[in-house]
Amino acid sequence: MAFEELLEDPVIQKYLHELVGPKGMPVAAAPPDGEVTDEELAEELGLELNDVRRALFILYENDLASYRRLRDEDSGWLTYLWTFEYDKIPEQLEEEMHRLLAALEERRQYERNHEFYLCETDGIRFEFAEAMDFGFECPQCGSELQSLENTRLVESMEGRIDALRDELNVESAEVEV
Amino acid sequence: MSATASEEELSEDELAGLELIRETGGIHQSNFWKELDVSSRKGSRIVDSLSEKGLINRDETIYEGHNTYYLTPTAQDLDFSLLMAGDMLSPFVGDEEIDAHSDAFSQWVMNLAYEE
Repeated sequence: MAFEELLEDPVIQKYLHELVGPKGMPVAAAPPDGEVTDEELAEELGLELNDVRRALFILYENDLASYRRLRDEDSGWLTYLWTFEYDKIPEQLEEEMHRLLAALEERRQYERNHEFYLCETDGIRFEFAEAMDFGFECPQCGSELQSLENTRLVESMEGRIDALRDELNVESAEVEV
Repeated sequence: MSATASEEELSEDELAGLELIRETGGIHQSNFWKELDVSSRKGSRIVDSLSEKGLINRDETIYEGHNTYYLTPTAQDLDFSLLMAGDMLSPFVGDEEIDAHSDAFSQWVMNLAYEE
């Protein structure tokens, strides 16, 4: 197996799982050294060929696998030889960190600039203007809406924003939201 | 991965240099050798070696009026756990759009505030 050290990182495992789903995970979690065919993988891992192919194409779409095609001269059949490109994972996760930072910055601004009200029964949050439109009563259950403090939310976002800026060496996000 | 294999082959000076770049998160080559307390020539050789092994990034830049390089750690050294809130990964992974007001991101932010 290749890329063992990368695959020990629980965040990278989570990332692959998010991309390929539980059925594709046996394929994504055990990248072989060098080239491999979908049939070889299916046999080795005891999986349906379709599940293997699905996982490989998801990895391909995310630039984490590549293939080359070989035509059998007698039968005319095409064979796909796959290579796992997991050395790209760190750069991709770095990009994800930039995107998360951009979203956090925008969301923090929104949380700071708005007042919120909560229906404690249904657990639904309303902006001040919405709450006023409903006469400070929950449109679902009719109970009175309570003013909601979001300091803790804002502070925890600030903490993560600082940590991301520090880790990425940027002053603010460089990605458009 | 290959990076670790090559890290084991580093000389003491190269290891110290790599450590310095990782600690600072980024440093100009003109400060690098001074901080490391080696000659500029030796500093440059260390940088060449680390850069060839793919352990650092080296980008041309102008600093205090002269051409130099800015040295940074590679993505591999980043703390990817900053993508997590509790046991939830950033909801933007695998999505083309970044929606800072989506339900999934609201859930992520709640996890950050109340589960960590």
